[in-house]
Amino acid sequence: MNMANSHENKIQNLQGNHACALGAIAAGCRFFAGYPITPSSEIAERMALELPKVEGTFIQMEDEIASMGAVVGASIGGVKAMTATSGPGFSLKQENLGYAAATEVPCVIINVMRGGPSTGMPTRPAQGDIMQARWGTHGDHPIIVLTPCSVREIYELTIHAFNLSESLRVPVLVLIDEVIGHLIETIDLSLTGTQALAERRWASGPPKDFKPYAMTEDGIPPMPRPGDGYRTHTTGLHHSESGFPTQNPAEVERFIKRILGKLELHRERIENFETLECEDAECLVVAYGITARAAKRAVKQARAEGIKAGLFRPVTLWPFPEEAFRALAAGAASVLVPEMNTGQLILEIERHCPDATRVVPLNRFDGEPIAPVQILKKIKEQVSHD
Amino acid sequence: MKEFEIRFSGSGGQGLILVTRILATALVEKGMKIAQSQSYEPTSRGGLSRSDLVASMETVDYPLASSLDYLLILDEVAVEVSGEVIGEGCLVLADSDRVSSKPEGKYSLYTLPLVSTADKLGSRRVANLVALGALAGLGSFCDQDALEMATRFHAPKGFLDLNLDALRAGYELSIEAPRIA
Repeated sequence: MNMANSHENKIQNLQGNHACALGAIAAGCRFFAGYPITPSSEIAERMALELPKVEGTFIQMEDEIASMGAVVGASIGGVKAMTATSGPGFSLKQENLGYAAATEVPCVIINVMRGGPSTGMPTRPAQGDIMQARWGTHGDHPIIVLTPCSVREIYELTIHAFNLSESLRVPVLVLIDEVIGHLIETIDLSLTGTQALAERRWASGPPKDFKPYAMTEDGIPPMPRPGDGYRTHTTGLHHSESGFPTQNPAEVERFIKRILGKLELHRERIENFETLECEDAECLVVAYGITARAAKRAVKQARAEGIKAGLFRPVTLWPFPEEAFRALAAGAASVLVPEMNTGQLILEIERHCPDATRVVPLNRFDGEPIAPVQILKKIKEQVSHD
Repeated sequence: MKEFEIRFSGSGGQGLILVTRILATALVEKGMKIAQSQSYEPTSRGGLSRSDLVASMETVDYPLASSLDYLLILDEVAVEVSGEVIGEGCLVLADSDRVSSKPEGKYSLYTLPLVSTADKLGSRRVANLVALGALAGLGSFCDQDALEMATRFHAPKGFLDLNLDALRAGYELSIEAPRIA
């Protein structure tokens, strides 16, 4: 019998967290270190089942600090590596996440958001880590944050996260809310397409000329593959092209400008967003994750009633696709930002809206998702206001 | 098949999420697409637990329940939570021994001795399958053959017969179920 959930069948009822693990395997991830935490544990569980089949390594570490350290170490060792966690665990991973950003070690971090602060509500959804995702670790640092809104998109974006991380040498975070992480949807994995896999640029040429943090034109220095004979040095201290610590002001400035500048240089590749009925929208809704699914329904219902509403869904949360958003926001009278927090992404939205555009929050932080009817009601209020 | 929304609700440990997965598997075999979500408390036993299924011939756009067509209440603790999302004309099935109050809303209510039927079969743990058989019998949203196939797929091997007996017992119960309101 070929049932929907059998492993061989391409049409599956698949949970978001499991899709994440399968996406990671498809992307070539061969190392996972983690510490179980609701609502992300199914990712670790599935990785523990899948990695041995592809001769990969799964390790449950003593805590989240160590697991992030193990991921960085494995990646320096030349393997595509990932960890998964939730709120309190994500807080613990911040130090080594900063280390990965400063040493430009590719790695993928999955954060399935729960209610916070602190241990908060382990099994209930929230979108409270939007700013932590960007600024959780100290200092100016590069990071890319992707945010899926369906099981299928979790699979695709996990692959994309590895591609971006490996090719740009930057940590990539996939930010998922509990609803989407635990959601089971029928997906046809044969339709997910075969995304080309990006591989790391490895050092080549004479070892004596090798500079591990060379100032390349595209901002991305090739990495030394262990065993290839290149001498290297890896430190969280500010370093020169040689990899050794420096406090020379010119070298430090050049280093910081390069690691931040590579995201600007490759912005076009990184930025991703979805629009629905935005062209003539008077009320533009900006939403992500499960809230975007609710917003999509609300916008469709509004349109059916003749109300000019539209949806802008950032798939790349950071760096925020600001240019595309600005162009759409310029034509809207109001921008509505529903979020399962007390107002986080709205701060970024306000920054990019013209003064004449009214920016309106819709917040829920009681552990329940925002319903389509709540968004529709708020859209109607805006339109009658204008 | 028509698009519909169904919720299995009760107390943590009653197997509500599993029984929703069984139904999901059966529906997908029938060519439908589903979205299943759940809400539970951090404890492994007790507390409110519910699992929702939105089933459609197309990919489900909004995956959470907003207007239920079918609702199971297997424990008193789950009576209040669904008030807001019970759709008009919803078919509500409640356990006759374990549920004493009623949710708000306009719906058809049936009560059956689901948990005690499971007890008679030998294990309270299959009350979820009794409930699935009974609700499917009353609602006709999925035929028994597909449910049995899906049960064979999901049930632990040593307990397959017990689970199938429970599913069939539930269906039998539904045939003569009196409508309460």
